[in-house]
Amino acid sequence: MAHKKVVFLSLASDFGCQVQVTNFPELLEMLGSIDLSYWQLATSAHMPEDYDVAVIEGAVTTQEHIELLEKVRGIAECVIVVGACACTGGVVGLALNHDLEEAARTVYGKDASKVAWGHIAPRPVDAVIPTDFKVMGCPINPEEFSYILQRAVQGLTDHPHRETLCSECKINENLCFYKQQKVCLGLVTAAGCNSNCVNRGRACTGCRGLAEDANLEAAREFAAKFSLENELLEAIEVYNTARKEA
Amino acid sequence: MFFRILQKESVSDLIKGLAQTREVIGPRAKGSEFVFDVIENPDDIVLDYTTTLLPPKKYFLKSKEEMMRYNSKTGQVSEDEVAVEPRVLFGVHPCDINSLLLLDKVFLGDYVDPYYKARRENTLIVGVSCMPTQMCMCNAFGTGEVHDGFDLFLTDLGDSYYVTCQTAEGANLIDKYCETRAVEPADVDALQARIKKFNEAFVPAPDTSEIPLLFDAKYDDPMWEEIGDPCLACGACSMVCPTCYCFNVRDVQDADGVSGTRVREWDSCCFSDFAEVVGGHNFRPKRSDRVKYRFYHKQWGYLSRYGEVLCVGCGRCNTACKVNINPRRVLEALTKGGEE
Amino acid sequence: MAVNSSEVFRSLGVNPYRPWPARITSITKLTEKEKLFEIRLIDEEVRNAFTFESGQFVELSIFGVGEAPISISSAPSKQGFIELCVRETGTVTGALHKKQCGDIVGLRGPFGRGFPFDDMKGHDILLVAGGLGIAPLKSLINHIHDERHEFGKVTILLGARTPNEILFRRQFDMWKHREDFNLYMTVDHADETWDGDEGLVTQLFDRIEVNPDNTYGAICGPPIMYKFVFQEMRKKDLDVEKIFVSLERKMKCGMGLCGHCGVGHQYACIDGPVFSYWEAMNLQEAM
Repeated sequence: MAHKKVVFLSLASDFGCQVQVTNFPELLEMLGSIDLSYWQLATSAHMPEDYDVAVIEGAVTTQEHIELLEKVRGIAECVIVVGACACTGGVVGLALNHDLEEAARTVYGKDASKVAWGHIAPRPVDAVIPTDFKVMGCPINPEEFSYILQRAVQGLTDHPHRETLCSECKINENLCFYKQQKVCLGLVTAAGCNSNCVNRGRACTGCRGLAEDANLEAAREFAAKFSLENELLEAIEVYNTARKEA
Repeated sequence: MFFRILQKESVSDLIKGLAQTREVIGPRAKGSEFVFDVIENPDDIVLDYTTTLLPPKKYFLKSKEEMMRYNSKTGQVSEDEVAVEPRVLFGVHPCDINSLLLLDKVFLGDYVDPYYKARRENTLIVGVSCMPTQMCMCNAFGTGEVHDGFDLFLTDLGDSYYVTCQTAEGANLIDKYCETRAVEPADVDALQARIKKFNEAFVPAPDTSEIPLLFDAKYDDPMWEEIGDPCLACGACSMVCPTCYCFNVRDVQDADGVSGTRVREWDSCCFSDFAEVVGGHNFRPKRSDRVKYRFYHKQWGYLSRYGEVLCVGCGRCNTACKVNINPRRVLEALTKGGEE
Repeated sequence: MAVNSSEVFRSLGVNPYRPWPARITSITKLTEKEKLFEIRLIDEEVRNAFTFESGQFVELSIFGVGEAPISISSAPSKQGFIELCVRETGTVTGALHKKQCGDIVGLRGPFGRGFPFDDMKGHDILLVAGGLGIAPLKSLINHIHDERHEFGKVTILLGARTPNEILFRRQFDMWKHREDFNLYMTVDHADETWDGDEGLVTQLFDRIEVNPDNTYGAICGPPIMYKFVFQEMRKKDLDVEKIFVSLERKMKCGMGLCGHCGVGHQYACIDGPVFSYWEAMNLQEAM
């Protein structure tokens, strides 16, 4: 089987997920079975004109991004989006809660229009093009990324089902934050991180986005019993403001 | 079977002795809760614990395990001998001992699961008596007492334990590692007082008569929407259940793209894709369908095959479920009605 | 002869989760979506020990992709290989369709309860298949063919959506003229190549005569078909305990352990996949 050509590219993000991938020694081994044609973080070369798998990080925030994505989708047989920004719009999506012009002025000052032109409302990649795999999280779990990249280079398209995080948290025998009257998003967030934060004593902030099975109505009613309903809804907004369904 | 009296201060001798030849697992505190974990210092074990977060199932059917290695080019499959070091689970409640006997029927039945079997054969069980919590309902299923499935069982008599030696190995170990004395009539009296106190401490059990019949009679009852619609589909009930045994299997390819590992992981029938077949048809599309199936299987499916209910009333699901879905509520809803 | 692989596994002391390497020895494209794979177990001892009955299934492994349950389409009377008629729908079946002759896959099995072939002997037989439902029934048809003298009148009703989607069409076209098989075919949507019946498979019941006291029926097809075909069989007064159906569920382990194929209070992988209609009527979620 000929090696699949893989490209890595970034939209609006802090490159954190790409850095996370570099922290993963297995990737170097995997390079033997794939052809890494282009990696934005690590090379200044131009992107090639043909490839099989495109790995995309970051949220869509400019018209250029849209054009790039459309071109990529026309070439790649498989598109993997990685990280919260690309999967749900992530923190970048919070800009939707503000006037975009004003937000740009706040960040870049009076010359905003010179340095930050062409902005559009932030959105996740799948709001622009169909995607095949999502590796959620902020940052991503490199092990999960490796699993999905392996599926992709085999030409598979089965996206792993993601139940809510409470399941993994139970396996890890963590104590529930709600017993301490604290909001935790595990009850609606997609599993797959092995409840990494909760294992370390921090409540889930929902960086992996809502699970397919999430039952928001029941979660809201549950939080209301602790008078935490508003806190729950606000916490969900952080990573889900720009998600496709919204 | 024979009986001995073990003073509580001698328990640490027994644990230290057992630790010479095997790994000792027992209940210990985790925050305000308890978990089964390795006991390195006998002082860490808490034998008067309420209920552990996860049942001892995790030591037999692991939440995630590598089943075999494969080579996708040659089709060669290699399994390592299931490596299990000798172990003792020290301080297991009757409900959890009974749950293992229920799992035995599945994994040591017609098709023998070699992973489960190896761990079961290498593990001694020392049971310990308990007092029911508000969540417990082993009184509904008769699983608050054990007749089999342990090597030693310690019934708490205050300053001492009334020790039931069920197996020769258990009897030998207790003789070898700690001081015990013969049972005296006063000990039997204390044992009986303890049994009475135990029975009186329960929240009354729900009515379990004719549950399979009522299940089918009320299969389309609106009670299922009411109970099941709020399900968060988190699977917490299955993860903490000592008798849930469903699993999923998947292949994890190595970085070389050729070899890999076939792994299995705990699954739950409350996850939306559990009964979905290729092509996308889902035999249980609604949350309430899945919740109903979970109880249907426990109260009737398993019973129809193995003659017992697949619930030991440990109460873990009751604690774990955020939206009040639990066997007590289901049994009460099923048996409701028919009043004159 | 009931075939129970649990006894084989137990006597060999083998890990029942472990697939045996097998080689694809022939691939025949049947339609746009379905191919017929002939597969041989590589180890001779295992190959000789592998016996099955019509209606049983195997767990097919594509290493690195996963496992899927697939009914055996060849007859038990053919030893040394099995045939699997597979539609390209899921991950594993998709990966199988990309395989070539000579490639290696894994097999476990056989699993489940098949058709009661020995009980069926001495009776008339009425077989009804819709679409891919022919995959398990083909094994039974071929087995009956190989022991034709043991059976009375054999009637086969086949339905497909279009003429191009009829599986094993070449064989069945030839069988249309056989005297020892009464074969009727229909398609939902005819085209210019089709000069046969058009309409649902249930319409074919008007054309046949059945001796209700001496007939076994079997139905395989999409779930929606079962109820309607069953009604037709009941109109002909067939005994509900002599009508058999094969239920499709997510049979991941094949051994009644993983829990995925629960149907009512039973498991399709060990209690089925073939159930009598009476049994299926008494299973929640079955119909």
